[in-house]
Amino acid sequence: MKILAMAEKELREYVLKPGSISWGIVFPLVFTLAFAIRFGDVDHLAPGLLSISVLFGTTSFVSSSVIFERRLRTFERLLVAPVGYFEIVLAKVLVGSLFGLFVGFTSLLFLRPFTVYGVWNPWLLLLFLTLSAMCFSGLGLYIALIVENPINAMTWLNLIRLPMMFTSGAIVSLLLFPHWFLAVGLATPMTYSVEGLRFSMLHYYDVVNPLYSLLVLLILTLLFLYLSTSRLENLY
Amino acid sequence: MEEAIVAENLVKRYGNVEAVRGISFRVKRGEAYALLGPNGAGKTTTVRMLTTLTSITSGEAYVNGHNVKTERLAVRRSIGLVPDISNLYEELTVEENLRFMAKLYDAPRERIAELIKDFNLPAGMKFGKLSSGFKRRVTIAAALIHEPEVLFLDEPTTALDINSAKAVRGLIRLLNKRGMTVFLTTHNMLEAETIPQRIAIIRGGKIVAEGRRNELKKLVGRRILVRLSVEPITSSLLKKLEPYKPAFEEGGIVLEVDEPDEFLRFIFSLRSELGFRIDHICTELPSIEDVFVELTEGGCPCGGCPL
Ligand SMILES: Nc1ncnc2c1ncn2[C@@H]1O[C@H](COP(=O)(O)OP(=O)(O)OP(=O)(O)O)[C@@H](O)[C@H]1O
Ligand SMILES: [Mg+2]
Repeated sequence: MKILAMAEKELREYVLKPGSISWGIVFPLVFTLAFAIRFGDVDHLAPGLLSISVLFGTTSFVSSSVIFERRLRTFERLLVAPVGYFEIVLAKVLVGSLFGLFVGFTSLLFLRPFTVYGVWNPWLLLLFLTLSAMCFSGLGLYIALIVENPINAMTWLNLIRLPMMFTSGAIVSLLLFPHWFLAVGLATPMTYSVEGLRFSMLHYYDVVNPLYSLLVLLILTLLFLYLSTSRLENLY
Repeated sequence: MEEAIVAENLVKRYGNVEAVRGISFRVKRGEAYALLGPNGAGKTTTVRMLTTLTSITSGEAYVNGHNVKTERLAVRRSIGLVPDISNLYEELTVEENLRFMAKLYDAPRERIAELIKDFNLPAGMKFGKLSSGFKRRVTIAAALIHEPEVLFLDEPTTALDINSAKAVRGLIRLLNKRGMTVFLTTHNMLEAETIPQRIAIIRGGKIVAEGRRNELKKLVGRRILVRLSVEPITSSLLKKLEPYKPAFEEGGIVLEVDEPDEFLRFIFSLRSELGFRIDHICTELPSIEDVFVELTEGGCPCGGCPL
């Protein structure tokens, strides 16, 4: 119940903050549209673009809420209340994921006119979208909690997000890079989101079997939840 | 346990900075207790340690009988905190903010309407749009949502105008009168004079004096002041007043005395003897401000801090 209350508060308070809007909604949608208009049929790009939208949507929302809360010190309200650190983390990840799903579905709508094939398996797509959103929310939360000065969170995030767009094979398939680059690809959390989405939408994958993608996304989500919780414990 | 707050040798270190250097005190249930000290003395740090917001480097603390280090959730449930800045959610209305707090603390919904009425709050206004005075009131109301046993207030009236500050002080006194334990930090003399039953003066992370107002006032070297205005002032009168170190100020003579009763008897006997007229006479105890200035001015006794 407290998790839901915290999640509802987050949505009301932060959906309209500049960080959520610019990096969380405008950037991914403009990016998606730009690719769609430039290349016409974007069936093979669609999973990557979708993953990028979810990545930017979730991380921007979560980190901008944490930045505001740490700067205005409303965060201390949660820390001094009788709620567990894990509940606080879950609430953040929950709203981040919802926001990410919203941005993801909007991207999907934008992409629809530029794709020839329909989605192969909508339920699998929903599963991978949700897992991606949770994993990326956890990542965004962890980054926003470890930076000393919350103002720097966006900069740090972009240092991670922008390279991931390439090392995950979201835009150019990992198969087209030199062989050694595959290692970089496999070390990129986003790769598993792109591969999972690709399988659910197009019924094929480039490098990672969808079952592994599912597993890795799940493990990464739990890892980020754990890291964020223990960071909160030591932040106090 | 009879004590609401117990602090034993509390120390807080931030890297090389020792913000609090071993302070101990006990606050009884229902008591109002103030930590009075200059900027950087360690007041906020102490409150943050007691309210579980920052870790305790060494020492022990108990709030409502719960160990602050090991029973953090129990401590949190039993306290309310008004931090040094008013930190509610700007985009939410006053009522939405209180509703959120009620959910966080499992407080009954009726509490929200009660607080809005008691504190005369603009329920539908967004918190971010309120004046500082109203923000402070809402912040205090929010801290009371679960009717905590102990209320911590960190500089509750800083940045408020005279009337808002007066209203907030009245509010705190009322809460204390109704039985709530109040722990407050301040560097405002009026607050120290009017709210707490006991005061600890903190400086450079150490408590340099503690006690009731009158006890603290006895600590200052200065004696009781007598302001005297007589007509005429003759040299024989001044000679008689010599032992009281007379000083001339606007509107009369200021003297230092130990025993006001004795002095008054003396001055009236002088009047019959020398035949002058007393226009005005009054005595003045040292104020908490005098105590504060005397105990916190000049080099810090600890020798190590920049104060
Ligand atoms: N997070 C922190 N990191 C490092 N030093 C800190 C931190 N918080 C406080 N300090 C230092 O600890 C000392 C005590 O600070 P504190 O905020 O407790 O003082 P205060 O009595 O509340 O002062 P004020 O009246 O200005 O609010 C100061 O020297 C301050 O610089
Ligand atoms: Mg302070």
